[in-house]
Amino acid sequence: MIMNSVVETDSAEEFIEEIEKAQNALPKKIDANPKTVEKGLAKLVLTLIELIRKLLEKQAMRRVEAGSLSDEEIERVGETLMKLENKMNELKQIFGLKDEELNLNLGPLGDLM
Amino acid sequence: MKLYLYGIINSSDQIKEPIYGLKGSNVYNIPFCDIGAVISEIENPIQDVTEGAVLEHEAVVEKLMANFAVLPARFQTIIDGRDSLLSMMQSYYRDFKGNLERFHNKCEFGIKVIWPADKVKANILKVLKKDEQKILESDNSSSKRFIKKKFEGYKIDKEFEAKADKFIKVMDIFFSRFAAEKKLEKLKTKNLLLDAVYLVEKDRENDFREAFGHIKSGPLGLKYLFSGPWPPYNFVVLSKKSDLLRDSEQADLFDKVTRCQALAGVDSI
Repeated sequence: MIMNSVVETDSAEEFIEEIEKAQNALPKKIDANPKTVEKGLAKLVLTLIELIRKLLEKQAMRRVEAGSLSDEEIERVGETLMKLENKMNELKQIFGLKDEELNLNLGPLGDLM
Repeated sequence: MKLYLYGIINSSDQIKEPIYGLKGSNVYNIPFCDIGAVISEIENPIQDVTEGAVLEHEAVVEKLMANFAVLPARFQTIIDGRDSLLSMMQSYYRDFKGNLERFHNKCEFGIKVIWPADKVKANILKVLKKDEQKILESDNSSSKRFIKKKFEGYKIDKEFEAKADKFIKVMDIFFSRFAAEKKLEKLKTKNLLLDAVYLVEKDRENDFREAFGHIKSGPLGLKYLFSGPWPPYNFVVLSKKSDLLRDSEQADLFDKVTRCQALAGVDSI
């Protein structure tokens, strides 16, 4: 049917799998109905919190890498990030959300997770 | 009667050889100024998206590509009727024209590359362990151990990205030499290192294929998917008319369009 175009690969199945993964990384629609509205809202809010948490964590790692944190500061930052992560895990459990569900397309920056 | 749109071409002339589209329908060109909308008539919207229907659509676009510059329409683009089509052509004429000029004598190739992400990460970890940065003098507290673990992950991710950039740069040097435009997406999944499309001049098609051959047989040891030539699906750029045109230009376009519209839609093939 198709005239001149070709698709050449030695690993068709692997490519299909990866393309499907890339396409399914984000939900195509927001599931908003009376039964799931609470979970839907929680998902939205937790996604945003997760984004901020990841940014904080990344900034902290950059400072650790640059050696600009004292021993005490590392201790404090570590404690804060650890508590934040634990709290997020609790909230995810309460609303029955998995890590991969808290994703966000950040346009040219790619996906949050 | 609704119109099924296959694409916009850089010609207002008749299509010389007969082309058959969805369900064997007759495909023809509706001219608008110096460009045209290639359509077939359709009574009902397509209920089921089947592989056959998608291929029929694609086959029409590829046949057009052999003789014209084409802006391929998305599968299942259905327009209410001739008036709506002409109105759409009027609104987007300048955009269509600009894209068609960019695409003249060019086609699109796709390249996807898979790398063994887990293996790459394991190797990075091995190297990092060797010259581990002493970030913490003592890691006897849980918060310091937490930071240490996170920092290790951060370093691995950073090195992973850097390696991906390096591989992509090497490959892109080969392909870019023969491409007029490109779009590269890195690490759409951890294994899908590169998802790229290149807009290539038709007379450089063989050079581009050869470049791929060199990369494929090279020492990188990756998995590749090469596809094309395709209509330039990924390079069409549309902007709203109001953003593009100033008042005076709108007046010019309107005059031009009105003249063209009088000629349009009468001599469909």
